Amino acid sequence: MSVLSQLNIINVTGLTKSVNTLEGELTILSDINFSVKSGESVAIVGASGSGKSTLLSLLAGLDVASKGDICLDGEQLSELNEEARAQLRAKKVGFVFQSFMLVQSLTALENVMLPAELAGDSNAKQQALSLLEKVGLSHRLEHYPSQLSGGEQQRVAIARAFIGSPKILFADEPSANLDSKNGHLVEKLLFDLNKQNGTTLILVTHDEHLAKQCDRIIHIEAGKLETIRNGEAAYVD
Amino acid sequence: MWIKLAFKLFAREFRRGELSIIFAAIALAVLTVFSLSSVTQRIGLNIEQKTSDFIAADRRLSSNHPIEPHILAKGAEFGLETAKMLFFDSMLFANEELILGSIKAVSPEYPLRGEVTLKDNLNGVPYEVRGGPKKGNVWLSEGLFYSLGLKVGDQVELGAGNFTVSKVLVNEPDAPFFSLAGNRRVLLSYDDIAATQAVQPGSRVFHRLLFAGQEQQLSDYYAWLKPQLKANQSWQGIKDRQSPLGNNLARAERFLLLAGLFGIMLAAVAMAVSAKRYCERQYDPVAMMKTLGGSRQVIRNIYLLHLSLVTGFSILVGLLLGFVLQHIGAAYLAKFMGTDLPVAGVRPWLLSVFIGIVCALMFSLKPLLDLFDIPPLRVLRRSLGDKLALSRIHIGLSLLTIFLLMWMFSEQLLTTLILFGSTLLVIAVLFGISRLVFSAGRKLGLSPGSSWSLAIATLQKRANANAVQLISFALAIKLMLFLVVLKNDMISDWQTQVPADAPNMFLINIGQSEVQPLDDFFEQNSITHEAFFPVFNARVDAVNGEELARRISRQEGEEKADSEREGVNREPNLTWLTELPEGNEITQGKWFDNNSQSDRIEVSVFDGWQERLDLELGDEISFLVNEQRFDAVVTSFRSVDWGTLKPNFVMILSPNMAGKVPVTYFSAAKLDNSHTKAISSLLQRYPTISMIDIKSRLEQAQSIIAQVSLAIGFVLAIVLISGALVLVSQVQASLAERMQEVVILRTLGARGRLIKLATLYEFLLLGAIAGLVAALVSDVTLLVIQQQLFDVDGKMHPYVWVLGPAVGAGFVALIGYFMVSNTMRQNTQGLLRKLG
Repeated sequence: MSVLSQLNIINVTGLTKSVNTLEGELTILSDINFSVKSGESVAIVGASGSGKSTLLSLLAGLDVASKGDICLDGEQLSELNEEARAQLRAKKVGFVFQSFMLVQSLTALENVMLPAELAGDSNAKQQALSLLEKVGLSHRLEHYPSQLSGGEQQRVAIARAFIGSPKILFADEPSANLDSKNGHLVEKLLFDLNKQNGTTLILVTHDEHLAKQCDRIIHIEAGKLETIRNGEAAYVD
Repeated sequence: MWIKLAFKLFAREFRRGELSIIFAAIALAVLTVFSLSSVTQRIGLNIEQKTSDFIAADRRLSSNHPIEPHILAKGAEFGLETAKMLFFDSMLFANEELILGSIKAVSPEYPLRGEVTLKDNLNGVPYEVRGGPKKGNVWLSEGLFYSLGLKVGDQVELGAGNFTVSKVLVNEPDAPFFSLAGNRRVLLSYDDIAATQAVQPGSRVFHRLLFAGQEQQLSDYYAWLKPQLKANQSWQGIKDRQSPLGNNLARAERFLLLAGLFGIMLAAVAMAVSAKRYCERQYDPVAMMKTLGGSRQVIRNIYLLHLSLVTGFSILVGLLLGFVLQHIGAAYLAKFMGTDLPVAGVRPWLLSVFIGIVCALMFSLKPLLDLFDIPPLRVLRRSLGDKLALSRIHIGLSLLTIFLLMWMFSEQLLTTLILFGSTLLVIAVLFGISRLVFSAGRKLGLSPGSSWSLAIATLQKRANANAVQLISFALAIKLMLFLVVLKNDMISDWQTQVPADAPNMFLINIGQSEVQPLDDFFEQNSITHEAFFPVFNARVDAVNGEELARRISRQEGEEKADSEREGVNREPNLTWLTELPEGNEITQGKWFDNNSQSDRIEVSVFDGWQERLDLELGDEISFLVNEQRFDAVVTSFRSVDWGTLKPNFVMILSPNMAGKVPVTYFSAAKLDNSHTKAISSLLQRYPTISMIDIKSRLEQAQSIIAQVSLAIGFVLAIVLISGALVLVSQVQASLAERMQEVVILRTLGARGRLIKLATLYEFLLLGAIAGLVAALVSDVTLLVIQQQLFDVDGKMHPYVWVLGPAVGAGFVALIGYFMVSNTMRQNTQGLLRKLG
């Protein structure tokens, strides 16, 4: 790896997220600090309600922090409005969700093309075809999400996440809705493509086995960063 | 790039049926407005044309003083057709017989609308012509031929002039429905007035100008004329004329207007619900697109393009379907009416396109704005943005739009307010009921696992969604019930006015000695007839000793009451009666005491004359019968419904008048062709009895009422279809949620029968509640509407309270059950995938 790629692509400093509830202010995340190097894979783990999905939403610029800041590939998210954050996502970020989040009215191919089309990329179809072939769905191009199995839908979602060659990929429990066979298949695809593309992977999971495949594991407990430890991938590398 | 994506998404959403409800709602609004407004306009134009015949013009200006010549000349300048008429009474003399004729002098253009019916001789076949008699000729009604012993071609003296009797006058388009002078009518050329020398300064004459032309020309002309109208001049159209026809026409128009409003309201409800529903279903794709980097601008463009496409497409389809529908309807009506309907013009096109656009914009504006505001975070927090669905602004904006659309369409604030108010009442009541019922079910403690408890639980779970659904159901049912009941009431009211056994022949001039034989004759021939009214002419000479002529000229307001028909009749037909006649109502004072032994003669006066003669209770009116004078004290004033086809009297005397003056009798009978022979032998035996045939006028009135009833039936059918579509679209809109429940229940092992029955009960409950509320509110609204808009006594309709819930439950359950059963046929795995 080059020295340049070893630079931090994500820097989180003093990140706090609070919301107002009927009972008063509720702190979901409190003073989180960490950084992620480019090309690194990081798992965010923790119990349900610990705040890991909130952390993911803040990192991806889907939500705004109450305090602290996030620097995403050199851009301070707190200084960007929603439009600018959307543009940043369009250029640099890919997503994989637990519930697949495919647009029901579009075919597998069109779903994969969607981010590239929104970004005005004229080469969307070629990229999408290539990615769908990589995830083994070149025979399912014209199928709608309702005509695909859960595993196939998630593979479409993975192909969609990699279109436009994003620098960072956010994955929220990508295999939680799948059986173990399909889950493993999807996880393998995710890591393989991540490696091939040199993407930084931020993965939210409470599957310890999946987390261990990452370079580092960030453990969140009751909104606080408990530990950061190396995963098995770190030793493999 | 976004355009390609937008079109692709649109095509897919459309194919998937996601846009079908919104599309159907706009198309429905356009179709309803277009077909209703064009059919009603075409029928309205036709009816107006036909009914214009009844005043022989589109408008008329009447006065008992000469009307300045420039008023007529100006009409022509405005592009109007004009004609002039003069009414006066004059003596006719022929074959040593002298009789007072009722003369109508007409200019050659008369009649501007309708035709004059003539016969070439007494036994001839009637035929219709446009125009009046040539100079030197007169046309006489049949009665005059008998009275004067004339035949066609004879000479008759009219005033100082000699005229040739050239035709038998059977009917004129503007003849009054009922006139005792009906058998003494003379039609004369306007140019011959001078020759009669009957019209001198101070003569009792009545002037009338006729106008016909385009509605715009008429209103422009009236705008010019209005400031210079004098108190003694009155401007009238067919609708101003107090007749069964005028009243019914006005009511029919109001009904069609209401039906149109309901159509718009139903389509608007469908549109508001479907727009909101569609936008809600787009929350996830929008959140996804935002997450994937789609800018707000691109997303806005995509959905605004969708809205434009669906609006444009649905307006086109709505217009096309509306055009076909109104074409079929108009062709059918034309066939029934035996005449081509006039073309409606551009208004329906413009109005329906405008309403389509307004519906699309106003009802989808707020949901779309909400859609653009959906946070990308929804991809992780699934419920985020759901609270936007209950937007008060959307509800407020939708209500405001509906109100404005109704007002714009009707141009009547009161009607709009009543309907809108009653609709808000339905909404309020239903919200209350839905809260009550859905929470009460919880306390019933129904056993778990039963279809009923599942149905109640489902209702409770979706309380808000159900409230919206309930309101839509109730509105649709309310509007449908409302129109059905109103139509039934209106038509039965008309049938009462012009019943099938209404008398079609008036018999007048019946001598005292002829009453019994005539009564026997009716009895023998099973002819239904009215009572024999004593009738005599008396001159109203003075009031409280003051001469009437002076008293009238003292009055500023010399406007002629319609009821008086032609001219100031100071020699009204009088009668005496023991009972207040049908259609009369005492407005002041008391009806005669039949047990009174007093010799004092009392008189009950039409309240229209009260003001005109400045009369008060207790005033003494002096009458002259020939040279005999008698006085009567005013003891009551009456309102008179001149709209009935029954004989009405301006003054009615107390029964103790009997025997004090010579009288003839009057009656009316229902005769058909089988009586012709018997009647002619009767008339030969009693030659002084005169008959006035009103059969043709009655048939004309009945035919127009039949046309209007048919038009109303047609419009009602369109509204009923719209209502049914609203119900269908509502159930369809909730299918996705139901699908989710079906999946859960089936996954949990619920039997198909249980789910189906639960659905059936749920819809039965919803439909019954909606139907009951709809019935109650529609009945109350109907009461107000009938009194406020239709000038009839409203009444409650208990059958509607049963009909409403029954129809509501049946209809809603049927649609809901079939649609959900269709869902049930798919296997659970298929449903799961569909839910995504």
